Amino acid sequence: MSENRWLATGNFFTSYKAEQRIFLTHVDRVVFIGFLVLMFVWPLIFEVGNKYMLVIDSILIAIIAVYGLNLLTGFAGLISIGHAAFVGVGAYTVATFAQILGSNHVLLTHAWPLMIVLAGCVGAIFGAVVGLPALRLKHLYLVIATLSFQMIFQWAINFSKFFDQGQTIAIGRVFWFTGKVVRKEHYLFWYYVILVFVVVLGFAVRNLLRTKHGRCLVAVRDNDRAADAMGMHPGFTKVYAFAVSGFFAGVAGALHAYMWRGVGFESFMLHHSISYLAMAIVGGLGTLMGSFFGPVAILMLDLQVENLAEFVGHYFTALGDVSTAFRPLSFGLVIVLFLMFEPRGIANWWRIIRTYFKLWPFRY
Amino acid sequence: MSYFFQLVVSGIVVGSIYALSALGFVLIYKSSRVLNLAHGQIIASGAFITYALTVWVGIPIVISFLLSMVITFFLAMSVERVFLRRLIGEPIISVIMVTIGLMSIIDGIIYMTPFGAGNFSFPEFLPNTPIAFWGVSISWTQFVGVIITFIMIGGFTWFFKASTVGISMRAVSDDQFASMSIGISVPKVFGLAWAAAGLSAAAAGGILGNITGLNFDVLHSFGIIVFPVVIVGGLDSIFGAVVAGIIMGLIQQFAAGYLDGNWGLNGTADVLPYIILLIILLFKPHGLFGIHEIERV
Repeated sequence: MSENRWLATGNFFTSYKAEQRIFLTHVDRVVFIGFLVLMFVWPLIFEVGNKYMLVIDSILIAIIAVYGLNLLTGFAGLISIGHAAFVGVGAYTVATFAQILGSNHVLLTHAWPLMIVLAGCVGAIFGAVVGLPALRLKHLYLVIATLSFQMIFQWAINFSKFFDQGQTIAIGRVFWFTGKVVRKEHYLFWYYVILVFVVVLGFAVRNLLRTKHGRCLVAVRDNDRAADAMGMHPGFTKVYAFAVSGFFAGVAGALHAYMWRGVGFESFMLHHSISYLAMAIVGGLGTLMGSFFGPVAILMLDLQVENLAEFVGHYFTALGDVSTAFRPLSFGLVIVLFLMFEPRGIANWWRIIRTYFKLWPFRY
Repeated sequence: MSYFFQLVVSGIVVGSIYALSALGFVLIYKSSRVLNLAHGQIIASGAFITYALTVWVGIPIVISFLLSMVITFFLAMSVERVFLRRLIGEPIISVIMVTIGLMSIIDGIIYMTPFGAGNFSFPEFLPNTPIAFWGVSISWTQFVGVIITFIMIGGFTWFFKASTVGISMRAVSDDQFASMSIGISVPKVFGLAWAAAGLSAAAAGGILGNITGLNFDVLHSFGIIVFPVVIVGGLDSIFGAVVAGIIMGLIQQFAAGYLDGNWGLNGTADVLPYIILLIILLFKPHGLFGIHEIERV
């Protein structure tokens, strides 16, 4: 009873229920709610151009995709280098409806939340199918299974007439209660939609990890034999991890399709999969906070790399295509350096800072 | 019927190069249990080094072919030294992700050179007239390429079976602690495995560059097709890599020859290996010749 819920210098859990709380102290809760309000309010105060809003929207979409990848790679310990293909499955689910019904059909423009959830479910189905080898195999082989799914996906889009050989398929403008979302408000509108999805899905991940179904992922990652002995089926757990990850990717893909108002093949290539993986690693595998830090860091780095490439290409014209060169180079370096020197990612820095404030004025 | 035999012959040509490139992959996996996802990039750099030495420096192609093998030998060894040596003992998952990062880095470096864009082709150094027999024709370049490939594969098989270093590699792959206790330097073996893989990759790249010409996108997709080959053959079997390489080459040629253009299918040669890979993973995960001690989950 005497527990201070506002400030705590250590962990004083007296029950499992206390340990499982989302917010350990009231300060955490207040800071979180304040941050959330800030995220919703700031676009109303500052006028932001469409160009920058687009970047912010892309970061938020990447966050949703990385939720999925982080669940799969971080929590369940299964590397996936086909995540962009799962995102693509979501986007092309929307595109399929656009191709069959026309890009301005009422189902696409009015029932878009339904479409987004549907895209997530289709992504989950594909995820489960690709994860099926997990019933028999360990992660080494699953890497290759996801890689081959990436290649099959690229081929299927590239050579099918139905999807215009990977040409961009247009998606119509959506409607809100106030009417059609016009060009000027488009990115702001999607900012709010995606933000809601980020918050809801973020809580979903957080809560999933508190339940039996999330904790068994971690158990199977850490020691599948022990997990087996505890009564979990490791194979099914892995397949289910793939399905959940596919759901998140599908949602991200549908949002991507709506936000760009079109689905094009070149957004879901192998190097996108690698950059999703880079986001998850840089952010911190196996942490929820990492899913936020990673996309922000990588996409900001991407912008800076583009500027740098422009700058360098201006002075060293003899070099090859610098902007295509710098991107893989910087992603690769970031992945390798983080794995070598900070395998726990930016989320670890966050943890260190938090611990400092939590324990202040003591050192430890 | 001669169309069929033509497909068989070109399938064997392509397949033997697949086998040679899969060889390096198997070498690394066999000794250190690391899936080297950057292997395709090492093949590409081997091919580009051979080209640069031949055309830009002006060395005769045979010598530059050998020289590029030496260069890649040390290049791969230093890659292991710089990036992977400090990850010994880390979970295998982070080692695999480091090779994904390496794949990206080498991509970036190659894009920075002129090879990143455009096509290059080696100067002709063999007779231009194809060898024709029984209505099947094969170019001299392909013929010599296949011969070199089989010599290399034979050499590596001998190396693994009989040489001291090869035996110590097998010992390390079997049990690291036991081999350490009898005086094998495990890091040295890992370094040598990478170096040998780099050597075979350069050979594969050089032969491939002579047969198909150099284009980074082509070499790139070539590097990825190594995965179906090694999975079908079994990840740690050299013999399996050879057989599966030739099977894959034949399948691709038959797909391109008989499936494309019919029933609205196109480019099936690019996708069939992956579909086969998924099916193999589901039903026979240790491949045709792999060891059966795969841990079931």
